[in-house]
Amino acid sequence: MSKIQEVKAKVEAGKSKLVPGLVQEALDEGSSPAEILQAMVDSMGIVGDKFSSGEIFVPEMLIAAKAMSKGVEVLKPLMAGDGSTSLGTCIIGTVAGDLHDIGKNLVSMMIESAGFDMVDLGVDVPADTFVQAVKDNANVKLVACSGLLTTTMPALKEAVQTIKAAHPEMKVIVGGAPVTPEYAAEVGADGYAPDAGSAAVKAKELVTA
Amino acid sequence: MLTKRQNLMETIKGGNPDRFVNQYEFMDLIMEAPMDLPLAPAPGTRVKNKWGITFDWPADQIGSFPMHDDEHKALKDITDWKNQVKAPAIETSEEAWAAAVAHANSVDRNDKFVTAFCAPGIFEMTHHLMSMEDALMALYEEPEAMKELIDYVVEYELAYANEYLKHIQPDALFHHDDWGSQISTFISPAMFDEFILPAYKKVYGFWKANGVELIVHHSDSYAATLVPEMIEMGVDIWQGVMTTNNVPELIKKYGGQISFMGDIDSGRVDFPGWTREKIYEDAKKACEECGKLYFIPNLSQGLNISSFPGVYEATSEVIDQLSKEMF
Repeated sequence: MSKIQEVKAKVEAGKSKLVPGLVQEALDEGSSPAEILQAMVDSMGIVGDKFSSGEIFVPEMLIAAKAMSKGVEVLKPLMAGDGSTSLGTCIIGTVAGDLHDIGKNLVSMMIESAGFDMVDLGVDVPADTFVQAVKDNANVKLVACSGLLTTTMPALKEAVQTIKAAHPEMKVIVGGAPVTPEYAAEVGADGYAPDAGSAAVKAKELVTA
Repeated sequence: MLTKRQNLMETIKGGNPDRFVNQYEFMDLIMEAPMDLPLAPAPGTRVKNKWGITFDWPADQIGSFPMHDDEHKALKDITDWKNQVKAPAIETSEEAWAAAVAHANSVDRNDKFVTAFCAPGIFEMTHHLMSMEDALMALYEEPEAMKELIDYVVEYELAYANEYLKHIQPDALFHHDDWGSQISTFISPAMFDEFILPAYKKVYGFWKANGVELIVHHSDSYAATLVPEMIEMGVDIWQGVMTTNNVPELIKKYGGQISFMGDIDSGRVDFPGWTREKIYEDAKKACEECGKLYFIPNLSQGLNISSFPGVYEATSEVIDQLSKEMF
């Protein structure tokens, strides 16, 4: 197995202690940072698919993402200023009135693993804060809004509509336990995903379409 | 007419109930027992409990959350848990238990089960202490330390149970531990078998060995794949079972070994603009599909309350109406 294949396998298996060394070995073998990063992104794609299909669970996804981030730390100094590998910036947050962060954090992690730079606004985020964050950050391609409570669905709607009013071209993806594809379409979101794995797939699809 | 207790037993033993068991009616929860509940007391309050976990309930929210920023996280390094986690002392005095004893003594045990309440659960305690992400990753990265921490929580629960049994001889235990999201369990059944099942076999085994007749476990989540484990650990009723579990299918598969209490998702009916019609629609569907045995229609909420005033009571009225229509 080539070193780059080993990196891929160990990221998928969540071996965060082994991945940095293997990334270094892959570099030493002559693989480019971009190739290695892409291998890790591909691994996380597999992890996301397995999560969506119920083959793996949250801990497996968390340790895989941690392994990838350890690998990225090795690559970062070599890729500084190289925006060509990024899919753009994604602003993420849980909407106003809602303090749930676990699902939002998982989605953030998986979208980051797919190749986005993440700006996490946290929880209980007013609609205007999403709008401001789009203005304040460079190369924003996507806004992801999470809501877990039936009672905060109006806040989700307000967030999507406020963002769309201020930035009509901006892609907005929504998710959370009570959100359905129909509701997402009704409030004007561009995309919906039922879980963190499919959120990463949908995010990539929206900005590369 | 059967008493509430008799009707419950007929329902879960596959006998002849004369109506639906109506939500929590069979349990008289002794909430006065001295334990450290995992919540802030009211909107707009923040408390640090005796485990060192800070719970915050912002004024505009419907519940409280454990805080896990660097300043508030109680357990920052699982490998150092022995220094960072200190279980509170269990209250033993007659005075501390007096209100609970008085309540228990007032209950007609022919009609209802005197029910001990226990929350948070063992899995919940791990992530309240250290955050969900840290707790779940530690199951892979530091499994031995996690097992030690879980054992420590189990010892605390057993000591509490022992004291409970000394003061009050409860007929039932209502124990919380959320094991999943709406669509999935947090951890795989294999991981559950390794870390969580042994803990609950000890805890529920202890209560049962000491005369507790009924174990009711709350998890308002998907957990259909963990039902065999629930049976193995001694759960008689899974409360909070959400519609995503396909409850009618579970009843077909496991009825007689365990019963299911829920199938009316609070998230669908308990909100500011709630209506009796919507509750009736969801409750009727649940009762028609699940049937009269091994099933208790109930909101998925983990107590005999609702988030918005009137929803719990309206649900009880609807279930009474459905009993008249269907029995």
